[in-house]
Parts: sequence; structure tokens; C-alpha cells
Amino acid sequence: MEKTDQGSAQQGRPETIRAVPVRHPGRWVSVAVVAVLAAMLLHVLFTNPALDWDFVGATLRDPTVVHGIWVTLELTALSMLMGVVGGVLLAVMRLSKNPVLSGTAWFYIWVFRGTPVLVQLVLWNNIGFLWKEISLGIPFGPSFWSQESNTLVPVFTAALLGLGLNEAAYMAEIVRAGIQSVDEGQSEAAHALGMSRATVLRRIVLPQAMRVIIPPTGNETISMLKTTSLVQVISLVELFTAGHDISTRTYKPIAAMIAISIYYLLLTSILTVGQYYLERYYARGANRTLPPTPLQRVRALFAGRAPAKATAPASPAAPAAPGDTPPGAPDGGKDA
Amino acid sequence: MTDLSKPQATDRPMVRAEGVHKSYGQVEVLKGIDLEVRQSEVFCLVGPSGSGKSTFLRCINHLEKINAGRLYVDGELVGYRQKGDKLHELKDREVALKRRDIGMVFQRFNLFPHMTALENVTEAPVQVKKEGRAAAKERAMALLERVGLADKAGNYPSQLSGGQQQRVAIARALAMEPKLMLFDEPTSALDPELVGDVLDVMRGLAEDGMTMIVVTHEMGFAREVGDALVFMDGGVVVESGHPREVLGNPQHERTRAFLSKVL
Repeated sequence: MEKTDQGSAQQGRPETIRAVPVRHPGRWVSVAVVAVLAAMLLHVLFTNPALDWDFVGATLRDPTVVHGIWVTLELTALSMLMGVVGGVLLAVMRLSKNPVLSGTAWFYIWVFRGTPVLVQLVLWNNIGFLWKEISLGIPFGPSFWSQESNTLVPVFTAALLGLGLNEAAYMAEIVRAGIQSVDEGQSEAAHALGMSRATVLRRIVLPQAMRVIIPPTGNETISMLKTTSLVQVISLVELFTAGHDISTRTYKPIAAMIAISIYYLLLTSILTVGQYYLERYYARGANRTLPPTPLQRVRALFAGRAPAKATAPASPAAPAAPGDTPPGAPDGGKDA
Repeated sequence: MTDLSKPQATDRPMVRAEGVHKSYGQVEVLKGIDLEVRQSEVFCLVGPSGSGKSTFLRCINHLEKINAGRLYVDGELVGYRQKGDKLHELKDREVALKRRDIGMVFQRFNLFPHMTALENVTEAPVQVKKEGRAAAKERAMALLERVGLADKAGNYPSQLSGGQQQRVAIARALAMEPKLMLFDEPTSALDPELVGDVLDVMRGLAEDGMTMIVVTHEMGFAREVGDALVFMDGGVVVESGHPREVLGNPQHERTRAFLSKVL
């Protein structure tokens, strides 16, 4: 059924259009405005004495700040891990036919999403006031093992519980939206093949839901990186607390905050790149051709001007982003 | 033109329906279906949309629960177990076990878009039957060969035409080595020029003796390949018999009215 002859399309082809492109004078005006503003900003940055760049450099190298980066990263990674695992669990519970499970998940989300994370952090850090010790045993009966709350929940654990459990509530809603975005025909087809519920979820529904889940999860991760600064209230020294301590000690708050902002920007940039490639991976099969990576884009630009701006007329139903089609992308395959 | 090479339909019933009723809330979609599909038979279900034929098909592998009557596949009750005079619902696991033997092909293909054609076919044998990957792959390639798509094994569904997707879907169902295949309007979502390829694959299956229940609007296929045909309307069986009789000489007014529109 492969028809390859395209007929007489090549014969008597009229000459290629070379039109004068539309001019954009407004753009030149806006370039001028932006340039002036940028010059003003640079002027402030390098002449204002409050911005002591030597001090910024010293802060960047300060051992407590460098250690703070690691605490921030650790907190972000672990609380996001808790958030994602908890979120998937809660989302599946929420969508369960079992009313006890879905009710429990609903209640959890209601509580943890409905109270400020700052409050939750303080609560976890002071759990010792509520229960002096935590023990395992028969409810209202004897206990087999017990430990003092303050030993069991040190400040790092309290921070993790506060951030992670709160995040799980948000992730639950993100995962639920992802699961519900998958066409019902998918799970039907999988069930018809004899797959169990768990297999359908793991192999068919979740991988497709990922496309919807990942972008907001990337947002959540970047947001979490910055939210970790809230643990200052429970005196855990991470990046922000380290910078803040320096700024109060030296009365150079602007320089100290600029120093830690540089680190925050660096970290979010790395996360953004990671998110890009993760999204690309889960887009496989959804787009007929994957969009080129930035590297491929740059290469295409140097290889010979903008890649395939004029899409071949043979593929009207081109992939989602026609401008992204690399030259020579397979636009065949369909309609063989 | 009955081809003699085809294994003849036996008397053993593969599917038996006794007074099958199905309703969604207040709306009764199936109002007492009685029919019997014998082994190796190609059984066609035709009728206007909303007549309940797709719903009935979905009851056979328990994608829909019936509300009254009895439905048997290969002598076993679908979705329930009879203990004394009481019916007990089967557990999800038991339902899944029975579905392994029943292949289903959907109008909208429902291929898994995140997997290649080959992965679509190997997925169920590997995940459900715990077949080795290498063996499953080998069988899958043979099945793709059979539906004429061995060269598209590495393509994702979005890179295939509708007709190719539907043939992959048939290969995917066959990979579980079912004893019964259900086709829910398999060619309705296809461009007219692509219908033939899918029907060719189905014709081949019929010749190999597969028991097939086909909901279809392809009267040519029903007449040529079908061993039995049922015309449904309003949730009941209006008329049944050999396809050539029902299509050529319909007895009922409603059948005649329907056929005059589709033939």
C-alpha cells in the first residue's frame, strides 16, 4: 500500500517566492529603551557602594553558605521525593472506588493544603509538646518500643516532614489531573488484554500521565528549592539562613542576598534544563517527531539558517510545533 | 462462495446469551438478548447506532456488567460465579484471568501511544503471561508480519496511518492467543481506502478458524465472510440467520428500512 509516486508535482513548478519581509520599526525603538534601562541597571550595580562586590564574592565562598547549598539541595530533593511518592499514593487513593481510601485522601489534602507550610514546619518542630515520646504498640494498650520525640524528630526531620507532607498534598492533585487526562480507551484496551489494575496503572496510565504531570512538577521542584528558605523559622541553617546570618552580622544585606540569589538562580537553571530533557523523554510517541534539543537547534542555525520554516506542503497535519521540525524530518509514515 | 479450506463452525457454543439485560440508570440499552455463537464462527452484529450492539460486545469481556440474564463464554459464566442459587461477583483478578482468552479490537484502535508497534504487541504477553522478552518479541514480529507491518515495528502509533494502527491493534490482541476475538466497528474510524487492508487481515483470521464477533457496518464483509448475522435495534434482536439470507431477503420491516439506507 506504499504509494511513492508523487505524480507530476515537480513539472512546471512556478518560481520560488522571494518577497520583501514586513519591517518592524517598533522593535528598534524598544531595543533603544531596553538598552538605556540596562545601562542604568549596570551603572547602579557597579557604582553603588551598598553593592560591595568583593563582599559578594566573599559571601559566595563563605563555608556556611557553601554548606547551606548542600542542605538546601538535600531538603529539596528529599521533600520532593516524599511529595512525589506521597502524591502518587494519594492520587490513586483519591481515585479509588473504595470510599474509605478516597475519603482519607480527600481529608489529608484538605488539611495539608489548607494550612500554611510555615505553620506545619513549626508544628512538626514542636511535636514534643504534643507527645513527649512516640511509641509503637497496641493502641490504648502496651507499647513495645518508644523514643523521645525530640530525639526522634530532630530539626532536619521536622523540616523534611513539614515540607514533604505539604508537598504530597499538592502533588496529589497534579498526579490526579495527569491520570484523569489519559483517555479511558487506554485503560479499557489494557484491561481487555487481561492486565490487572496495578499493571494498567504502572505500565499504561502513569507513563502517559507523566506528560501532564512533569511540567507542574518541575514548577513545584523549583518552588520547593526556594520554599526551603522557610525552615529559617525552625533555625535550620540552609542557604538562605546562612546568607541571612551573614547579613545581620555585617549589616550588608543587599550584598549577602545578591550572593545567595546567584546560587538560587544557578540551581533553578540546572533544574530547568533537567526538566526540559525529562519532558522530552515523556513526549515520545505523542509528537510525531521530537522537537530538537537546544544544542541541535544551535547546530541547525549554523548549518544553514532557520530550520524548516517553510513546512513541506505534503504534511498539512504536521507535528504540534511545525516550526520545530528539523530539516529532513520524516514527514512520511502517515497516510501511506 | 463458501471456501472449503476454512474450518467449519462446530456445534460447541463459544458464547451463549440468555435474556441479557443492561441498563445505564433509567435507560435500558439491552432488553433481553438471546443468541449463540459457535466455535470458529464469524458472527456479525449489525444495526443502527444506539441499538446496543457495541454494549453487548463489551458485556462479553465484562467491560460492562449485565443487569439480568446470563452470559457464558466457553461454557463459563461471565463476571460471576454461581454457588447454589446465588451469584457471586468475580474478583478483579479472576475477571482479568478470563479476559486473557478474549481479544478485543476497538473502533478508535486504542494503541498505547507511548510504545512502539512492537512494544504494543509484546506488552501483554510480557506483563500478563510473564513471557520472556526475547520469545515475546519473536512472536510479536511474526504477528506484525502476518498483518503486513513487520517494517513498521519500531514506529510509534502516531507515525502510523489509521489502517496500520488498527492492524497493529489486531496483532496486539492476537499476541494473547485468544480463543475469541471481539471487533467493535473496527473499520468505522478509517478512511475508505484503508478499510480493505484491515478487512483482509480479519478475513485471514476467519480462514484460520478464529471465533469472531464483529460489530460492523461493512455489509460486504458480513455477506462474504460471516457465518451468522444478527440485526439489532432498540436493544433487541430483530432478525437473525445466515448473512446472505438476512441481507438478501430481510423478513422484518425494520431490517429492510435499515438495509435500504446502508446497502
